[in-house]
Amino acid sequence: MPLNSPSPQDVLSHLQRLLTCSNGLYDSDAIVRYGAFVGSKIESHEFLPRAMIHARTRIESLAASGKSVASGTVILADTMSHSKGRFSRQWHAPTGGAWGCMIHANTLLPQSRCFVPLAVGIAGCEAVREMGGRMAVLRWVNDVLVEGKKLAGFLVETYTEAIFGEEYNLVGFGVNINNRQFPDELFDSAISLREVLGTAADLTRFTALFLARLAWNFGLLYYEESSALRGEGFSGNGGEHLLLEQWRRLSDTVGKRVVYGFDVMRSPQYQGVVLKMDENGGLVLRLDDGFEKTEYSGEVRYL
Amino acid sequence: MSDEIDFDELLSKYKSDPYDYVDVYAVHTGQVTFKVMEGQQVDAPSGEWLQVPGTSLYEINRERNPKIVVAQTNGTVAEVVSELDGRFVEAGEKLMTIKHPLKKKEIIENIFREVLYLFYAPETAKYFFSMDIQSRIDKKGARSITIDQGEEIITMSLMKRDTPVYYNGERGVIHSIYFKPGISVKQGEPLIGVCALDKLPLIQKIITRVKANWDSTH
Repeated sequence: MPLNSPSPQDVLSHLQRLLTCSNGLYDSDAIVRYGAFVGSKIESHEFLPRAMIHARTRIESLAASGKSVASGTVILADTMSHSKGRFSRQWHAPTGGAWGCMIHANTLLPQSRCFVPLAVGIAGCEAVREMGGRMAVLRWVNDVLVEGKKLAGFLVETYTEAIFGEEYNLVGFGVNINNRQFPDELFDSAISLREVLGTAADLTRFTALFLARLAWNFGLLYYEESSALRGEGFSGNGGEHLLLEQWRRLSDTVGKRVVYGFDVMRSPQYQGVVLKMDENGGLVLRLDDGFEKTEYSGEVRYL
Repeated sequence: MSDEIDFDELLSKYKSDPYDYVDVYAVHTGQVTFKVMEGQQVDAPSGEWLQVPGTSLYEINRERNPKIVVAQTNGTVAEVVSELDGRFVEAGEKLMTIKHPLKKKEIIENIFREVLYLFYAPETAKYFFSMDIQSRIDKKGARSITIDQGEEIITMSLMKRDTPVYYNGERGVIHSIYFKPGISVKQGEPLIGVCALDKLPLIQKIITRVKANWDSTH
């Protein structure tokens, strides 16, 4: 029996609760309707080599029988043996963490797709805060940090299924919840929610909360896209995209001195001070020579 | 890919006019104000990270949001469509032409682009080779790597969303790589140039001829 096994109803209950948080500036019912597909089907496993690979296999096998995977399907595993981060980085996924991926049939317009990594990071940070990790912050693009240590990481891979050519976003997530041990190389840079709270957290409750927040944020993507297509602009203050507004609230990246690199661990490129995030999610940095540069990909580490 | 190349004609063309003529278009709709005049020298972005912007070419103002567009290549402003100054233009309208002096390396690359199969960037993003291709390149070098149609060769990275890019050209070796990991590539720019195996001698001939002719006269 898998340890981490929230039901779609658990996710929906948390999502419906978000309806009560409406501030009147936007239509919460519409956002929930747009996003409710997330977590509408959940597979829980005791073990998988890698959730992303399992998702690809599931997509291909259904396509081979003339069917499509349900958008919003979530695949969870208590442990994974071949999980990975970006590039060739390892991701340690022992028992106690929330590991998995969500399959999203990519029906977003190109200009909204670049916000998918922001949506999942925001969901992770919000869920950690709601579970009691109030100091959780976002580091551009979507790492969740507590006290400068990484508590959650996310990876979005696009996958085009070979038979019908349908494109999916595979939204991978790894959140350190109750896992106590990290490999030596991560000892100083990783942290779990258990360490933050001083006590074990309810893994299934966290995952349901996280998926509800993910549903809300995907709902926001579609809601804002629809609003822009109607010519009404975005719904945040000053016409800002609601997701960018929320990212700004949760992030401590702006104002920090950072080292930037496409693969910052292996090839750090330059240092600078973060001035702002632009309207497309790009990070605007001022380099030491006073010139500004905007990055739409890559990663930063705080100095 | 061309089988036959008239080297004399090609080299004579580049010798008589060793320039690229780069047209500059309106990046979006809006009211345009020119910042340069015909004959003016312009600079490309510079600095180790290309953080120093190129020369300002024009300002375009849409709904009270002015945007300065800078030169992406160095050279001389050969032509400005001056009647558009202060006017509202559509996205993609030609505004000016920059005459860019070609270096020998660029001439060779230009000739290659006529004979190689070019595989273009699907979106403006950063690109890196797939892990399998990269490890093969690390071991043997790019020009020893043969790729086939349908093979996952490159990963496109934009805002931490990674998208595999599948090769859709003819089978061949990766002859030229036009991107660097960590440097943004504009949509429609070539990522790699692929050469069919039986055409490799032709490529070598191009390099030899251009180098010989250019060294003797330049």
